[in-house]
Amino acid sequence: MFLTVTLTLLEGFLQTIKLFVLTLLFSLPLGLIISFGSMSKVQAIKVPVRFVIWVIRGTPLMLQLLVIYYGPGIIFNANVWGSGDGGRFVAALVAFVINYSCYFSEIYRGGIQSIPVGQYEAGQVLGMTKHQIFFKVVLLQVIKRIVPPISNEIITLVKDTSLARVIAVYEIIWEGQSFIKSAGIIWPLFYTGVFYLLFSGLLTLLFGRIERKLSYFR
Amino acid sequence: MAILEVRNLKKSFEDTEVIHDISFTMDEGETVTIIGSSGSGKTTLLRCLNFLETPDSGVIKVKDDILFDSDVPESMSEEAIRRKRLHFGLVFQSFNLFPQYTALENITLAPSLLAKEDTSIDASSIEENAKELLEKMGLSDRMGNYPHELSGGQQQRVAIARALALHPDILCFDEPTSALDPELTGEVLRVIKELAKQHTTMIIVTHEMSFAHDVSDKIIFMDKGVIAEEGTPEEVIDNPGNERTIQFLANYKNGK
Repeated sequence: MFLTVTLTLLEGFLQTIKLFVLTLLFSLPLGLIISFGSMSKVQAIKVPVRFVIWVIRGTPLMLQLLVIYYGPGIIFNANVWGSGDGGRFVAALVAFVINYSCYFSEIYRGGIQSIPVGQYEAGQVLGMTKHQIFFKVVLLQVIKRIVPPISNEIITLVKDTSLARVIAVYEIIWEGQSFIKSAGIIWPLFYTGVFYLLFSGLLTLLFGRIERKLSYFR
Repeated sequence: MAILEVRNLKKSFEDTEVIHDISFTMDEGETVTIIGSSGSGKTTLLRCLNFLETPDSGVIKVKDDILFDSDVPESMSEEAIRRKRLHFGLVFQSFNLFPQYTALENITLAPSLLAKEDTSIDASSIEENAKELLEKMGLSDRMGNYPHELSGGQQQRVAIARALALHPDILCFDEPTSALDPELTGEVLRVIKELAKQHTTMIIVTHEMSFAHDVSDKIIFMDKGVIAEEGTPEEVIDNPGNERTIQFLANYKNGK
């Protein structure tokens, strides 16, 4: 029984990890673009971007999942997400990407704005372009500063993926819960915690390593 | 021949006029020191020369080349400004070294980037040149160190080498020792004096009066956004003629 449960949970955890990895893949760069928008000097860009960030950060992720999955069907009377498991997964992914890129964008903004103006000015008087100043001077300093808050957010994401079960994405909690109905046992649900713990432990080690790598400068 | 000519320069921030009609010239190889109390517009003047601030009106000419003319708006495109900046070098009060690069890399970064877009620059000599500059600054043993491993005085000397590496026509210093502990100012001032001896063209904003007296060919005393008095150190510091200069120097001596 233990083996069957473990294998089933592993299958669910594979979905969890897939959602996790794809969310990061899209939301980390998208967050940077959103952060530029929220720092824009053009009000017509800045105001709507900040409005979206406010809405996304101000409502529960679970609600966003439901709105994004069911919303298009209600408004356009069409299933934009495709049918079956695949469609529900894509909808969940879109909701996670939007939610996390907004959070990441605020971390990026904090990081970018914390770089002293003297760094930009030094680059300018040395004849560097804006582009060069950002990529050669500022970026690594920003990365160093945002690694701790980003790690925090990423570890939260590992566990937030479990919310995807509200639109029936078969991630690990869903699988764990299914044993209550099918076999009348609850321990598989509790057992899922071990998978989360091991995975976030691995991530913690990874982030620690990145922080140490960047500790050569201050 | 005047290497730098500044004519009728004006700059306001919102409603406050920080620089009110400044004109002066300097010759190649000269060291000009700007003194004056805080808020007199010294730093703003330097920042205008380095295009960190855009003057409201006036003309800036280097070697008869018009760098800025408020009547010619084309001269203010970003790309044009970037090129013109290279006539000037600027050493900041707070050093502003790049923390993730070693002392040597801080110096070679900008020249290497410029060499990429301008093939007439010999990229192979950049590192050699940077090493020579560090040696001149007395820092040959610190090349591989990161800024946080250096003292303030050492950091400022790296910053001076970094500015020199681009061979500016005029090297500007914005209170180069104000952020340093008193025991560290000497090493930085010595380096600047050495540069003056080699006839590096320099504009220095400083509060170090005796240093200004020793190093300058010309001293400009600024007060409330205008040049209140200018002349040789003997004229301005030893025998000031202007009431406000006398007041400033008296306050300065009392403060010591």
